[in-house]
Amino acid sequence: MVNRLVAEHVAFEYSNGVAALAGASLELARGELVAVIGPNGSGKSTFLRCLAGLLVPKSGTVVVDGEEVVALPPRERACRLAVVPQFLPRLPDVRVQDFVLGGRYAHLGRWRSAKPHDRAVVRAALSSCDAGDVESRLMSELSGGQRQRVLVARAIAQEAGVLLVDEPTNSLDPEHQLAVFRSIAELVAGGRSALVVTHDLNLASQFASRAIVMQAGRTITEGPVDRVLTREVLEPVYGPHLFFGRFANGRPIVVPWADAR
Amino acid sequence: MSSNARRVRLCAVVFVVLLGALFFGSLCFGTTVRFSTGEAWRGLIALLGLGEPLETASRQTILELRVWRALVTIGVGAALALSGGYIQGLFQNGLASPSLIGVTGGAALGAAVAVLIVGGYAPRLVLESLGGNAYLIPLFGFAGAFGTTALVVYLSSGGGRTSVTSLLLTGIAVNMCVAGLFAAIQSLTLENWEVSRAILAWTFGTLDDRSGYHAGVVFSGLALAAACIPFTAVELDLLKGGEADAQSVGVDVKRLKWLAIFAAAVSAAAAVAVAGQIAFVGLVVPHLVRLAIGASHRVLLWLSMLGGAVFLLGAEFAQRWLLGDAALQPGVVMALIGGPFFLVLLVRERKEISAW
Repeated sequence: MVNRLVAEHVAFEYSNGVAALAGASLELARGELVAVIGPNGSGKSTFLRCLAGLLVPKSGTVVVDGEEVVALPPRERACRLAVVPQFLPRLPDVRVQDFVLGGRYAHLGRWRSAKPHDRAVVRAALSSCDAGDVESRLMSELSGGQRQRVLVARAIAQEAGVLLVDEPTNSLDPEHQLAVFRSIAELVAGGRSALVVTHDLNLASQFASRAIVMQAGRTITEGPVDRVLTREVLEPVYGPHLFFGRFANGRPIVVPWADAR
Repeated sequence: MSSNARRVRLCAVVFVVLLGALFFGSLCFGTTVRFSTGEAWRGLIALLGLGEPLETASRQTILELRVWRALVTIGVGAALALSGGYIQGLFQNGLASPSLIGVTGGAALGAAVAVLIVGGYAPRLVLESLGGNAYLIPLFGFAGAFGTTALVVYLSSGGGRTSVTSLLLTGIAVNMCVAGLFAAIQSLTLENWEVSRAILAWTFGTLDDRSGYHAGVVFSGLALAAACIPFTAVELDLLKGGEADAQSVGVDVKRLKWLAIFAAAVSAAAAVAVAGQIAFVGLVVPHLVRLAIGASHRVLLWLSMLGGAVFLLGAEFAQRWLLGDAALQPGVVMALIGGPFFLVLLVRERKEISAW
């Protein structure tokens, strides 16, 4: 299996001198959905931004399809890596279809004009995320769940081989959490790769094939979910208040448990 | 066609028709002679070398002066509004204007230095080596505007990246320094009536006695800035979700910032170099156009250009018509209209501003 995305010993320091990453590595293969888990402040989101080329690592390398991410021109990079942010710092005052069309930017020609093909890709992306009905609404009119699905739709329209997804299910109800993960899983089944940073260990358990655990800016363990989502691995990271169980299909369940020990 | 596309088209048509009518009106009406439309048309044809000039040479001269005046007014209005469109897009703030990055203050300083040189404060050799003084003020105004903006951008881009906040703060600081120097020059020349009058007059802005040279300067700046539109408009739209978001879909944010600042500086610098300080066109016009047609920079920037030309030419035409000889300098008129307008904007958007 060819690795699409390879990161080796990535370190990053914010300008105030805080070291957010101190050696994070991973490999992501074609057709793989991998979850990155770890406690708050363990560097997951920073790692994702380094992988996406939005931050330049202090040391270490990130290689996508054989080329270093930091050396790629921005449009070329966007054709290979799409980011689904946790939220937008500012909601653009545009219609959903125009926002999703933004995902086509890297594919547009010299004069940056959208072709009928681009519009078709946008419509298909929206309907695959079950958001076709909101395409002419303003971004500011959407509910949290709709907004999250539109962000995923834009990443789909970007047609990049690798999706980097940051906390996609925060503030979503269970049905919408599943919907978002399903649309990511569908893309992966179609041959793309996805890396999902998440706090939701149980969704990771159901949808990811592997999980990577981060702690204090390092990737400390990785492996198939049923071997990572265990008391031996998670207790040193998250502490003792965890309850472990199994779904009907045998996949692990991990939930916070106030009465542990 | 969507309702927005219809609105854009309507807006463009209205602007073009208004611009044509105002241009022709500005040729016919003035503080001195009044031309019939036929006469104005013949004079215009003659100016293009396609017909006989008007019967008396003085009438032809007056008409030609009015043509240059109107053209420079159009160019200045368009350039200031386009510059404002870029700055508001880049700062993602509908209340930003070109003066933020030091364009206006820098141009004032450059022009004041030029007035000093012309006024005999520099060694004769300097004036002679610069060759005449008719071109000096626009030249120095342009250099001052561009130099100051370059300084603001350079100082605010420490650590390899230019954040919009640091750009804003550096702009305020550099504007203060420039204003200090400008005040020093004014204070130095306080006793020299002619020189201080020239400096003061420049700060009011002027569109009188403009020539083909002035039109050339302002339209060159405008053309350069307009040439950047196809390479920045979609990118400015994508900036609406934040810088990191634009970067993630493939926008070269660094290049976008440089291009937008260059375009904003070159067009505003060209405008203030030929016409002095005319504030508020750059703030008001793009803001109103955005309210009318929505916020996509693909149309916003072009329509701001047209709108700026209509706005300034219309204001000039109206006050000449209403006030005649008592007409005020354009910079003064714009300040009188612009100040209250800015207040109205602040009150209207109070809710949004309190969230800053």
